[in-house]
Amino acid sequence: MSVQLTRADSYRVATVIATDDDNRTADGHFKSRRKMPAKAAKKENLDDLKQELDIDHHKISPEDLYQRFQTHPENGLSHAKAKENLERDGPNALTPPKQTPEWVKFCKNLFGGFAMLLWIGAILCFVAYSIQATTSEEPADDNLYLGIVLSAVVIVTGIFSYYQESKSSKIMESFKNMVPQFATVIREGEKLTLRAEDLVLGDVVEVKFGDRIPADIRIIEARNFKVDNSSLTGESEPQSRGAEFTHENPLETKNLAFFSTNAVEGTAKGVVISCGDHTVMGRIAGLASGLDTGETPIAKEIHHFIHLITGVAVFLGVTFFVIAFILGYHWLDAVIFLIGIIVANVPEGLLATVTVCLTLTAKRMASKNCLVKNLEAVETLGSTSTICSDKTGTLTQNRMTVAHMWFDNQIIEADTTEDQSGVQYDRTSPGFKALSRIATLCNRAEFKGGQDGVPILKKEVSGDASEAALLKCMELALGDVMNIRKRNRKIAEVPFNSTNKYQVSIHETEDTNDPRYLLVMKGAPERILERCSTIFINGKEKVLDEEMKEAFNNAYMELGGLGERVLGFCDFMLPSDKYPTGYKFNTDDINFPIDNLRFVGLMSMIDPPRAAVPDAVAKCRSAGIKVIMVTGDHPITAKAIAKSVGIISEGNETIEDIAQRLNIPVSEVNPREAKAAVVHGAELRDVSSDQLDEILRYHTEIVFARTSPQQKLIIVEGCQRMGAIVAVTGDGVNDSPALKKADIGVAMGIAGSDVSKQAADMILLDDNFASIVTGVEEGRLIFDNLKKSIAYTLTSNIPEISPFLAFILCDIPLPLGTVTILCIDLGTDMVPAISLAYEHAEADIMKRPPRDPFNDKLVNSRLISMAYGQIGMIQAAAGFFVYFVIMAENGFLPMKLFGIRKMWDSKAVNDLTDSYGQEWTYRDRKTLEYTCHTAFFISIVVVQWADLIICKTRRNSIFHQGMRNWALNFGLVFETVLAAFLSYCPGMDKGLRMYPLKLVWWFPAIPFMLAIFVYDETRRFYLRRNPGGWLEQETYY
Amino acid sequence: MSKNNGKGDKCENDFPQPARKQTFSEMIYDPRDGSFFGRTGKSWGQLFLFYVIFYIILAILFAICMQGLLASVDDYKPKWQLEESLIGTNPGLGFRPLSEQTERGSVIEFDNKKPAEIEYWTGLLDDFLKDYKQTEGRKMKHCDYNQSRNPNDVCVVDENQFGPCSSANGYGYRVGKPCIFLKLNKIYGWVPEIYDTPALNMPDDLQHLFNQTSEVERQKIWISCNGHYGKDKEQFQNISYYPSQGIPTYYYPYLNQPGYLSPIVAVQFNSPPIGSMLDVECRAWAKNIIYSGSIRDRMGSVTFQFLMD
Repeated sequence: MSVQLTRADSYRVATVIATDDDNRTADGHFKSRRKMPAKAAKKENLDDLKQELDIDHHKISPEDLYQRFQTHPENGLSHAKAKENLERDGPNALTPPKQTPEWVKFCKNLFGGFAMLLWIGAILCFVAYSIQATTSEEPADDNLYLGIVLSAVVIVTGIFSYYQESKSSKIMESFKNMVPQFATVIREGEKLTLRAEDLVLGDVVEVKFGDRIPADIRIIEARNFKVDNSSLTGESEPQSRGAEFTHENPLETKNLAFFSTNAVEGTAKGVVISCGDHTVMGRIAGLASGLDTGETPIAKEIHHFIHLITGVAVFLGVTFFVIAFILGYHWLDAVIFLIGIIVANVPEGLLATVTVCLTLTAKRMASKNCLVKNLEAVETLGSTSTICSDKTGTLTQNRMTVAHMWFDNQIIEADTTEDQSGVQYDRTSPGFKALSRIATLCNRAEFKGGQDGVPILKKEVSGDASEAALLKCMELALGDVMNIRKRNRKIAEVPFNSTNKYQVSIHETEDTNDPRYLLVMKGAPERILERCSTIFINGKEKVLDEEMKEAFNNAYMELGGLGERVLGFCDFMLPSDKYPTGYKFNTDDINFPIDNLRFVGLMSMIDPPRAAVPDAVAKCRSAGIKVIMVTGDHPITAKAIAKSVGIISEGNETIEDIAQRLNIPVSEVNPREAKAAVVHGAELRDVSSDQLDEILRYHTEIVFARTSPQQKLIIVEGCQRMGAIVAVTGDGVNDSPALKKADIGVAMGIAGSDVSKQAADMILLDDNFASIVTGVEEGRLIFDNLKKSIAYTLTSNIPEISPFLAFILCDIPLPLGTVTILCIDLGTDMVPAISLAYEHAEADIMKRPPRDPFNDKLVNSRLISMAYGQIGMIQAAAGFFVYFVIMAENGFLPMKLFGIRKMWDSKAVNDLTDSYGQEWTYRDRKTLEYTCHTAFFISIVVVQWADLIICKTRRNSIFHQGMRNWALNFGLVFETVLAAFLSYCPGMDKGLRMYPLKLVWWFPAIPFMLAIFVYDETRRFYLRRNPGGWLEQETYY
Repeated sequence: MSKNNGKGDKCENDFPQPARKQTFSEMIYDPRDGSFFGRTGKSWGQLFLFYVIFYIILAILFAICMQGLLASVDDYKPKWQLEESLIGTNPGLGFRPLSEQTERGSVIEFDNKKPAEIEYWTGLLDDFLKDYKQTEGRKMKHCDYNQSRNPNDVCVVDENQFGPCSSANGYGYRVGKPCIFLKLNKIYGWVPEIYDTPALNMPDDLQHLFNQTSEVERQKIWISCNGHYGKDKEQFQNISYYPSQGIPTYYYPYLNQPGYLSPIVAVQFNSPPIGSMLDVECRAWAKNIIYSGSIRDRMGSVTFQFLMD
């Protein structure tokens, strides 16, 4: 294939790959959405697809077509036949991607994660209770109660996560086009308006401009009919369609129009040849939904973490179950220990915390124009190491703008600022006047009405993109263009067409003394130059000699090299003797001169980069994220934009650049020397995946030009093979496989098609690349903050487990009960843990490389070591100290407690002696015990204050970080108030067995709280002072 | 981007790759870097040393706190007393014999034809009453209702007043008339408030007894036992209390006096039902003893079960 691919070629490349299943990924993962037994049907399925590509509906004569579908061009189908077809083929709609049924989702929430462990705990409780109930006359209801509480906890957290999940999935519904599509159909000679879903094969439909094509149709009649295939191909130029068969390839022939593309001009009548999932669009959507997306990184992290914690819980539980047996406990007691250990080990509130943290970030991102469809994508964006971005509309403004002008033999940068602050040229120079006159007059574009307050650059314009650019440029430079046009009335006009490549109009001049008519022309520069004999330079008309032609060529090359679209301008004052006032100009049979004109200048246009993009690209670069541009545009344009936004940084050369500099052929350049590369879509078609890997590996700055959206999929896979976490932007339907395949697919909110939004994980509301970078920043922040949140939550596990272990091993009365553990996990710890999501970044998170998904875990051994081994231990010490204080002050000195458990827990013993000879009834002892539970609980809250504060930072001092996170400060107050409420609220002794504490019992934990704070500040001090040292290796999580 | 200009620069976009999968044996010992379970000996040593130091410091902190705690509590009197303390002001009752095997609960079960089973319970009672028998060397006083008493004096609990429930009689177990000993829980500083007139909810026989008792001897905490449930109440008869159906107030307050012995009342079941469980509830009567019979919230009373085959 030649290097210079035409638009049509790239179109074909796109669609052929989409439907022809020789594509590896598609082959590997293709799944039909039609119901078929999974494996056996695969081959058949692919054949089916290929066969469908070989349709001949466009080749056969119209008569054969009518015959085949038993239809008639005037009368259409009979109602009976239509009904029969509808029953056979089903409605004409895309099968929505297979959705997990709601109840399955609900069950996943109810039984996934830690829920299973808690269910086991609850079931054990019920079993223990029922055994007690059958063996004892007055069973203790503790186990029943705990079983109910545990079940309630699982169900409530399950419902909560389900609710959160369904809420975020509802975001998509706002994008679904809820307005039903209608189509005009002829059946039995009658024109009917039906819902598009009710169309069947053979229906004769009428389509007019503004409609969406309701199915794949063969056109049988057309008047000036044009379609916009951009949602299918990304190609935005409207293409004309008619009844004639022009190409073997169904996708290129003029007599087919495809489902879900838009009619932009004219009207047409056609026969429906395929419906719903069988349409070209349907197959692409099917390909996308069949792609395997895999787990998100955060889901992997959370699973890893759940496995870790579950492993610890089961290991401890079983170990102590066995130990309890060996120590001679009754098996029922051993079961109760098991329950306690499970409850203490599982951070019940943590998954809900993670969900809430992600939701908060998702909300924050939504306010920054990143709408996240699935919560986990929030963090995926943060781990992104490669972004494959579209050019048009994402990196650029999707708005042609005049960039340069060439007149008086010099190139001038056009000023496109609203207030014209950057004017670099003399507006009064005759050269500019002449050029601007042509640009103003030889221009059919007009501003749309009702946009008075809108800045000129943002006004909507009816007309072609280049003309709109000229209009805006002139409106800015000269003021009211419409008024100028009025003063220079247009007499005649030859519009632009692709054979002439020019546009001419003839005007009266505003100089009333001059009766001459003015001819203005613009068009492809070389064509315009051919028609000129003179050139207007510095107010003088000169003969267009070789020297001037050379100057023109240089300017043209230079502007073209900038990737700009260049137009040439010339004019001519028609002599009044030959063309007097009232002369009848004939535009069909031209009766006026269009040769030997006066050349005036060039103007070049480009779709300029968005203002924030260069900064965003620079940010990506410092954040270690590789930005790859993937565009359907011309390589030169792509490269120019890449250079201007910094995707190809200054001083970096491509192979071609090196070859040019050294004056050697491209083939002699060592590809390794070039850091940058501009890869043409045609080359990409011929490279093997190994070669692609090489390109991706050895070039840091890559631009893929002239690529079809389908090749994006190959690029994405290439990046993923290299181990990158890839974010991909896309808007066309053809982009959806790539969006789906990417770790995070980013669809465009404004320009994106519905199918691409469906396939994407995230939607950019403003289509702006810079918003992705903001998203990356938020994603990285939430990963850091989740670590902090988990470190905070896990710490309290040790003071929760250790009482149970001490209870079993030391035979002391239980220091902390299961209900109180739940109060910590689901009560006091929740708000502070969530508030850590609001924590500011410690350092510039966009100055470090992306997370290494294999080694930089959310929960790593250092975090566990810190939380469990260090801070948790201090917390446990605090809890036990409070326990001993309360016991001692009420009469049970520490030594008395060891070995007392059996008597303590026996209901028969109504007179247990303490260290002072006092005798305690069962009830009083239990009150004492529950008071100890409450105090242990309070002391955990107290030490968690310090834990929360130290978890704010992983490296910095808290004095540096400050306490400006008001959510967190609220969390501190909240947990304290909640703890006080649980302790002091009347009735809590009955409900939760929490008893009011003496004020002094709040204090014993304080030395330990201070110890945590001092220890961790010291640790972090040495961490900062000795970066990379032992302390960092062992304790920096 | 100066780093891009040098020739042969290592390319900067090497993405992280997954770590090589380790075999199980490598996980335990990896000969390439000599690591056990992922760490070299030195690394393990450093970590171990760190944690040893960390826990020593933590232990010191904990020990200092515990020292502070122990220094703040008195050896002889509890820091918090009566209503300040969680023990409260409402003593419960205790009973003996009480099996050390807690899983037996509060059931006293024996076959009065099997001496071994009888001896189990009488042995428990012997142990319980040992302190009461060894009166030598204790500074004790025979107290009486009319005597004024120094609060630090310890009153004698005379083991010989239990009549048929004496140890010499084997506490009545051998003859099928077993005795249960009841005692009021000691609460530091607690003083009973006696009833001047019989309480309305007292059982009839106790009211009767109350009225028959002289004013002076009414200065006691009355004790009454009855069947717990309806069927037990029917079977519940022929009970005697020794030395009397109450505990004289002169034993109070308990102030952790050296040698203090809790006053006890022996309850003899003269004709217990044979072969069926008797659920007994005993309660103490004083104005400041609040009674609650609920399972969770038992106060001012005690229950035990009695099964004689």
